[in-house]
Amino acid sequence: MALDIEAIRADFPILKRVLPNGKQLVYFDNAATSQKPRCVIDAMSRFYEEYNSNAHRANHTLADEATAALESARARISSYFGTGPANLIYTSGATEAINLVAYGWGRYNLERDDVIVITEMEHHADIVPWQELSKTHGVEVRFVPIDTKTFTLDMEAFEVALDGAKLVCVVHTSNVLGVRNPIERIIEMSHAVGAKVLIDAAQGAPHERIFFDSSGADFVAISSHKMAGPTGIGCLLVKTDVMAEMGPFMTGGSMIRRVTTEGTTFQEGHAMFETGTPRIAEAIGWGAAVEWLAQFDMREVHAHINDLASWTSNQLLDIPGIKIYGDPSHKDSSGAISFLHDGIQSQDLAMLLDEGGFAVRTGHHCAQPLMDALGVPATNRASFWIYNTLDEVQAFIEYLRFICERFA
Amino acid sequence: MIYRRVRLNRINMEEEIVAEREWPEQLDEIIEEFADCFDAMERYELLFEYAQRMPTPLAEAEWDDQNKVHGCQSNAHVVCSLDENGRFLMRAGADAQLVQGLMTITAIAVNGMTSTEVVELKPVYADAMGLRNTLTPSRANGFLNMFEKVQTAAQSMM
Repeated sequence: MALDIEAIRADFPILKRVLPNGKQLVYFDNAATSQKPRCVIDAMSRFYEEYNSNAHRANHTLADEATAALESARARISSYFGTGPANLIYTSGATEAINLVAYGWGRYNLERDDVIVITEMEHHADIVPWQELSKTHGVEVRFVPIDTKTFTLDMEAFEVALDGAKLVCVVHTSNVLGVRNPIERIIEMSHAVGAKVLIDAAQGAPHERIFFDSSGADFVAISSHKMAGPTGIGCLLVKTDVMAEMGPFMTGGSMIRRVTTEGTTFQEGHAMFETGTPRIAEAIGWGAAVEWLAQFDMREVHAHINDLASWTSNQLLDIPGIKIYGDPSHKDSSGAISFLHDGIQSQDLAMLLDEGGFAVRTGHHCAQPLMDALGVPATNRASFWIYNTLDEVQAFIEYLRFICERFA
Repeated sequence: MIYRRVRLNRINMEEEIVAEREWPEQLDEIIEEFADCFDAMERYELLFEYAQRMPTPLAEAEWDDQNKVHGCQSNAHVVCSLDENGRFLMRAGADAQLVQGLMTITAIAVNGMTSTEVVELKPVYADAMGLRNTLTPSRANGFLNMFEKVQTAAQSMM
């Protein structure tokens, strides 16, 4: 059944927003964060209006309801990702999830000169934790380059880099290029040399179903806010046997079994990694988001986004002075289109687009090594999602042509 | 600091205040030009034009971390000094035309002032130019950080 985009749009109140200059909002910054459907906003409001309380602590009715809702969201979210609730550790987002692997697994299992393989395509969130671990634990961090002609990972270089690797950390889908990496092959090749695999699926999860158990990955990091959920929550999915190898990262309340003046013993399983008051409203909101997303076939969602990206990138290439970084019309592309105009600086272009109501991202996208490989300091990026329409991308191209003619 | 335009009353030979504003006289014409723009797009065009008219440019070769305006989304650099007459001199450069345009207007305002006058200047001319709506909080912060860098330099020269 084809997606009913108008019905989908009706679920998102913000899409009706008119900007202060009177222009209708056209939201093309989905790779930064998606908009939220009414059901997510309502679920979070209902928590605060009806049963706001701390979870896992007290015995009163509200506390029971909050605890039940928090854990029911865990069950719902883990099921959406093809795994069980015991394998899902709530984090503040993908960034904290990756740091949890560095500090909760790497610190306990890696030694001096152990090799971590990452790629030039990574977000800073999947680079800096490993550089920091290198400083404190002497691990070696190897970068796999990208082929700057095809904008894909150099898989031959990847194979070479794997020699002696203990951990491989790869982005599922690039936030800059929209390229979806050959995750299945990467997991297989990494496991063949005995390395654990962490997949940064912050950009992948909004575009395809992630089935953790069958993927074979050891760790998957996900953010809620890029897939219709609220900000401030995400998760690390971890294989059961790998979780048993992990030790505490952040410490404090909730994650302990017993604290005495002599020392502390810790909880087991995901509870060991969830210290402090949980993000209860956020978990409930994310649970509502995955329930909302589950009504769609994500292959259809991907096809819709891919159609928009293909049409837009073909039109962009027709505008003199525009260069695209990546191949947004590739069948696996996430719909993120990074581009530059050779006569209008990227910040200026973003500002002029904003004047027309078009929200696009500008900057290095927290991927400076990738920018270095591409030889540019920044790009403009239009990224589409489930609620974007052909009318919107047509209006975008028309307005962009007008801008380029007037300002270039 | 209030700048006043005065004229001599020929009957009682006393000075009368014709106009009061918080920017120096050399910005009057520029502000009027911006205020007369039909819409935001015209203002942007004008700002892009001013970007090409920087009286005291700072060449890209001179851009470094020390003269970078932090908190500005684009690459913006400012170097301030005193000229041979002891007057303030701001040289600046940015890769974004919007920022470069605002820097040009700021340079037109402050070049030739005393350091004290620069410290007492307020960044209200951007509002008077009708750029209030153009400067979203993040862009306004970039502008204000640039302005603050200029004033900090002036303060150190007093």
